[in-house]
Amino acid sequence: MAFPMAAPAALAAARLARAALADLWQALAASHRMAAPVACDGVFRFQETADLAAVRLDYNTTILPAKKFFYPPVETIFRFHRHRGALAPDEEACEARRPLALFGLHGCDVRALELLDQVYTGEFSDPAYARARAETFIVALSCLEPGPSCFCTSFRSGPFPESGFDLLLTDLGGHYLVEAGSARGAGLLQQLGAEPADSEDQLLKTHRLREAVARFRRHIPTEGLPRLLNQAFQHPVWQALKDQCLSCGTCTVVCPTCYCFNVWDKVNLDLETGERKMAWDSCQLLDFGQVALGQNFRRDRAARIKQRIYHKLNYFREQYGKFGCVGCGRCVEACVKHIDPVTIVAALKGV
Amino acid sequence: MSEMMAGGASAAVAEPSVLVPQVATIRRVTEETPDVKTFQVVFEDPGVTEDFAYLPGQCCMLSLPGSGEAMISITSSPTRRGFLEFAVKKVGIFTSALHELEPGDQIGVRGPYGNHFPLPLMEGRKLLFVGGGIGLAPLRSLINYVIDEKDRFGPVSIIYGARSPEDLVFKEELFHTWAALPHVSLHLTVDKGDASWEGHVGFVPAYLEELAPAPEGTTVITCGPPVMIKFVLQALSKLGFPPERVITTLEMKMKCGVGKCGRCNIGGKYVCVDGPVFTAAELAQLPAEY
Repeated sequence: MAFPMAAPAALAAARLARAALADLWQALAASHRMAAPVACDGVFRFQETADLAAVRLDYNTTILPAKKFFYPPVETIFRFHRHRGALAPDEEACEARRPLALFGLHGCDVRALELLDQVYTGEFSDPAYARARAETFIVALSCLEPGPSCFCTSFRSGPFPESGFDLLLTDLGGHYLVEAGSARGAGLLQQLGAEPADSEDQLLKTHRLREAVARFRRHIPTEGLPRLLNQAFQHPVWQALKDQCLSCGTCTVVCPTCYCFNVWDKVNLDLETGERKMAWDSCQLLDFGQVALGQNFRRDRAARIKQRIYHKLNYFREQYGKFGCVGCGRCVEACVKHIDPVTIVAALKGV
Repeated sequence: MSEMMAGGASAAVAEPSVLVPQVATIRRVTEETPDVKTFQVVFEDPGVTEDFAYLPGQCCMLSLPGSGEAMISITSSPTRRGFLEFAVKKVGIFTSALHELEPGDQIGVRGPYGNHFPLPLMEGRKLLFVGGGIGLAPLRSLINYVIDEKDRFGPVSIIYGARSPEDLVFKEELFHTWAALPHVSLHLTVDKGDASWEGHVGFVPAYLEELAPAPEGTTVITCGPPVMIKFVLQALSKLGFPPERVITTLEMKMKCGVGKCGRCNIGGKYVCVDGPVFTAAELAQLPAEY
């Protein structure tokens, strides 16, 4: 199995005593809304919180990924006021909000944001997304204990992130190693006046990484994967999955790299005013490919399952040069039928 | 951007989303068939009309707040400036609402989106257009472009069919303007004739095989219902046209037009940004989902 390389030399690295984590939190909270993993009914979720004591850095994964902060489940594109033959304005005052700091993101979720950036900040950039991303401070967290469905090492998105963060925390037992991944991250380290890290800290981190990687039991072999998929479009595994899948779309809701959306007009009861909305959508739902007169480009459930798996493992790579899956395991955990990309690829390989 | 619609919900500075349309006014409505109308529109902001650069094959997202949006090919030629034309068949909620509109009414327009017909594959060559039904709409943009720039292109043949004589679109051009041009030859057919129809009766792919045009020095551009395109591609292949010289367009559901909503994804392509125009050779590389 490919062994993830240690992170490239960061701009700056410091040791942070466990008790001093609060200083880092306070320094960020002075100018940011803080969001972090917190426990909720026995599971974890990312949410805004002012209280470091509520933050659970020992979390495994959250129900929803961090995309919700940049690409909300439902948004208003514009408001309208229509009367026969004319489109009329309805100006809306927008509140200015403090920027967000995401505290404790694992490598899988950091990579997922980097992938979403390719979609939303490339050609036809989404200004709201781009602004939210640019102003958000990301404190990543090296993941020491994979969850039961995790396979991030397959895509080298984890367990220790290598890019996409302002600061990276690695728990070294007695203290944290804090590494800066951006100029503003380095600036914050400077401001904290923390003791610089030494080569022993880096060695210890490498050791921790080795231990963490060794705990992974699930992998998607990426070598030759596009070729395998290109040859497997008619494989019987898709028909077998068709009989399991309920087309509920949960897998795409919890996926940190799913970005498809619906656009629709919500007309108010006065039949004059309304909003054009966009909302997360799912290629797994029957009406996703449905057009006028009941035509449907992907009526067959097998075609829709294939679309998700191929998009993650093949098409996204053709479009953006990277695999579209980060191995977070959320789709596996959330699926009532436990449809699992790891076992699908294994079946395609005939393992 | 439009002052008529307020953008981005959480935006403190109003930099509007790419999904906010420009406002355009309908200047003329032409009833082509019982269910097809051509809308000629001009943008409210003359600067937008001025800057609106497109080539045949590109599309726009037309929009009516309250009724939704749909991706429609531009049927006017960029050689004829100052307006845009869209031929729209009434098939669903949005297109039915659009068909209710009259000159003076406003619609939203955003674009142009997608790629265009590859002019280098056509310049200096004979051009064969094969169209069916409303599929003549994107071809009309290119046909008029080629007519207006006739020194750059060889002679033009058009094979076009519809369900019935009354379903033939752009009758003014089919029976008068284009018919009068010496370097344009027209071959019309209908699936089912009527009392007054003296022309050919039969499906487009069969008529194509019957006419059996020679592939040498010719580029083919075809657009129509997916089932027609499928059989036209087969017929062209039989007649010996190389797939690199056969150009067609794909249809998929679209919500954004800018490669993000995911609806029109086929393999590594988004039909809205990488298409809608593909050569038959390019189509052969995609998963068979179109």
